[in-house]
Amino acid sequence: MRTAATDLPVLKPFRAPPIAPSGLAAPALLGAGLVAGVAIVFAASLAVAQATGPAMRDGAVTILLRWLPLIFQGFLFNLLISVLSMALGTAVGVLFGIGQVSPSAALRQPAWAATQFFRNAPWLVLLFYAMFLLPFEISLGPVAIAFPAWVKAIIGLALPVAANVSEIVRGGIRSIPSGQWESAEALAFSRRQTMWMIILPQAVKRMLPPWMNLYAILTMATTLISVVGIQDGLTVTRAALVAESRPELMLPMYLLLLLMFFAYCYPIARLTMALERRFHVKG
Amino acid sequence: MKRLTALTLAFAATLAALPAFAQDTLAKIKEKGVLTVGVKNDYKPWGFLDPSGKIVGLEIDLAQEVASKIGVKLEMVPVIAANRIEFLRQGRIDMILATLGDTAERRKQIGMIEPNYYAGATNVLAPKSAGLKKWEDLKGRKVCAVQGAYYNRRVSQVYAPELVVFPSVPDGLNALQGNNCVAFLFDDTLIVSTLSGGDPKWANYEMPLTSEDPQLWAIGVRLDDLDGAFGKLLKEMSADWHKSGKLLALETKWGIKQSPYLIETNRKLKGGA
Repeated sequence: MRTAATDLPVLKPFRAPPIAPSGLAAPALLGAGLVAGVAIVFAASLAVAQATGPAMRDGAVTILLRWLPLIFQGFLFNLLISVLSMALGTAVGVLFGIGQVSPSAALRQPAWAATQFFRNAPWLVLLFYAMFLLPFEISLGPVAIAFPAWVKAIIGLALPVAANVSEIVRGGIRSIPSGQWESAEALAFSRRQTMWMIILPQAVKRMLPPWMNLYAILTMATTLISVVGIQDGLTVTRAALVAESRPELMLPMYLLLLLMFFAYCYPIARLTMALERRFHVKG
Repeated sequence: MKRLTALTLAFAATLAALPAFAQDTLAKIKEKGVLTVGVKNDYKPWGFLDPSGKIVGLEIDLAQEVASKIGVKLEMVPVIAANRIEFLRQGRIDMILATLGDTAERRKQIGMIEPNYYAGATNVLAPKSAGLKKWEDLKGRKVCAVQGAYYNRRVSQVYAPELVVFPSVPDGLNALQGNNCVAFLFDDTLIVSTLSGGDPKWANYEMPLTSEDPQLWAIGVRLDDLDGAFGKLLKEMSADWHKSGKLLALETKWGIKQSPYLIETNRKLKGGA
């Protein structure tokens, strides 16, 4: 860097001051404390269940271990649903988001309306609509394409996700200084080229953290599908409780599922924070 | 033009997807080689999960009987109160064997197989210290109940307790043990089974009231199957279960106290033969 040699301050390379210098250590400590806290509550509830349960039958730990594989399977199903609805929601949401910044009102207005509508509707209600409005089977002549409940659930959850992604994309694009658009125009880029080659690559970095946040929220929200009768982790946990007829196991059993979600979502939250710090641009 | 054709096709497909079951269900089941039954997996001991993930229980045994009789494989679809009738009418399942109460309202939508395979009545589980004597004692007091149970509505209308509704039985029982309510509203045979289970936790609890509102349970089929070959087969089988004492034996197998309804029907059908 030649410029560094000059003593003209204007030409010195810009160096952003580190943001929140203590930011790295403090949340890490806090995180460790949180994990320890949850583990302690879990252990305590387990101990209580063990102590209060009838002596002649299996202990709480034995029962929990017995059901662990099945509950974990249910949890994996939640993850599968979350990944698929996130993929579908993101694909649709990106289109809507770009539509929202389109110069053509015919594109912009419907995209805006759809985004606002699905973003401000309760997730569970949207899920109900998807479950009960979509047919269970679509027959194209002789071939019948089954439309199982879990596919409908993916569609139902993808609706609010798409609307939120749409807002993230719109915000990301809008956050790029207009100078970028102007200089691209001056260099004879078409609008499409500017969008794909100049604006979006910069905006993606800013969209990533909120997108990951949304994913973590979606993952936790997938337990909603238990309400509409799909066999997810929560349904299995509840069924396990019914099968054991041991009310004192309720807390540890639900906590077990909670821990699985926590172990999955917390690292995502940490990574999101790290990315936010890294991409932070001083306004 | 191509797009228009595609759109028309899609529209036609949606129309075609609407229920159309002119075909005989029994023949269809045999052709597929699978009998699809909607069952409960959260209502012990009628239908519940075992740790390997299999659904087991009294109703599952009955479903297996039907499948074996037809000579096809059994496929179980876990259902909840909110979706079982919809699943049946859509054709997702061939029959319902899921603690389905036989009510006049439901008879307008689906066919109920007679003789009914079970009858339960309503009662409460309460600590002895609560001192409940009659149903009217529940008025204005907190009573735990389970979501979707048919008796919730009648009890709350007639006796006006403050119902605290839980998503499943263990949540409700847990609340009762934690003294969050004065009693737990439930099926009387299940209360008897719980109390006679020998668990010291329930030593100080009782079923203090007179059981009320006997409710028949039935296998549900689509209305046009009720008098078809499939419905006939199920009616015969159900009568046979009563007559041979199969249902009573199953109650014993699953730890349910033999219910008066089954004992009586068994005696009646045997006498008639």
